[in-house]
Amino acid sequence: MDSRIKIYNRILAILIFTGLPVMFWALSEVPRQSVLRETISIITLLAFSIMLLQFYLARINRPMLKGQKMGKVLKWHKTLGYIFVVVLLIHPFLVILPRYYESGINPKDAFITMITTFNKGIVLGIIAWGLMFLIGLTSLIRKVLPLSYKTWRLIHGILSIAFIITASLHVLKLGRHIDTSLSVFIILLASGGVFLLIRTYILSNSKKA
Amino acid sequence: MSIKSINGCIGCGLCVKACPTDVIRLNPKTKKAEIRYPADCQICHLCAMSCPVGAITISPEKSIPVIVSWG
Repeated sequence: MDSRIKIYNRILAILIFTGLPVMFWALSEVPRQSVLRETISIITLLAFSIMLLQFYLARINRPMLKGQKMGKVLKWHKTLGYIFVVVLLIHPFLVILPRYYESGINPKDAFITMITTFNKGIVLGIIAWGLMFLIGLTSLIRKVLPLSYKTWRLIHGILSIAFIITASLHVLKLGRHIDTSLSVFIILLASGGVFLLIRTYILSNSKKA
Repeated sequence: MSIKSINGCIGCGLCVKACPTDVIRLNPKTKKAEIRYPADCQICHLCAMSCPVGAITISPEKSIPVIVSWG
């Protein structure tokens, strides 16, 4: 019975964090572009969705992860994190990649124009990129850092909250396939993840007091 | 109408400068480009070619017919 619940939970997680974003993309009324552009859109959408999943694939989500070995869960958290952090870090370059195969503005100029257009969405994206870089780097060199595991975990959590807030706002402002359903999906999952994390910190502090 | 939609605009304004017939304008409130006069579009593709993030879609089904003289 326990293993059946585990399998159901896994299927549910896969459906929510990969099935729903793909469904929103497929049902979106945004006109289709080239295969390359649409592939980049799906990869980025999935990478962001997996980043949302990371909040639920951690110690803070113990009730839902009942029956799962925490070591295994954290292994998944790390693996998915390292893969999709890289995808999101190269996201600004993926946006201009089709420019190599299309006529018009050259990729270098497109990139410079993109990062020097200081509107809210772009600034939020640059901040989120920096936070994502910090999260990835501090995770990669955690053992070298002169920090205790608990302090590192706290910093990781704070950076994650800052990242998910700025990244979500960036997506809501500039996302190509953003519509009401996708916006609700992102807002619900991001606020749920932030709530879980903050609740864990408040609970652990109240236990200490 | 041939310019179809603008999705994911970053508001750089390059398409506004590129359009020879002023079809696209920057919305001062949202600071994003919007299709203001679609009927004036000449399907020159200059806006799509100048967009750094590929936000502009032009109807693939619409194209300027080639005029061939008969006889």
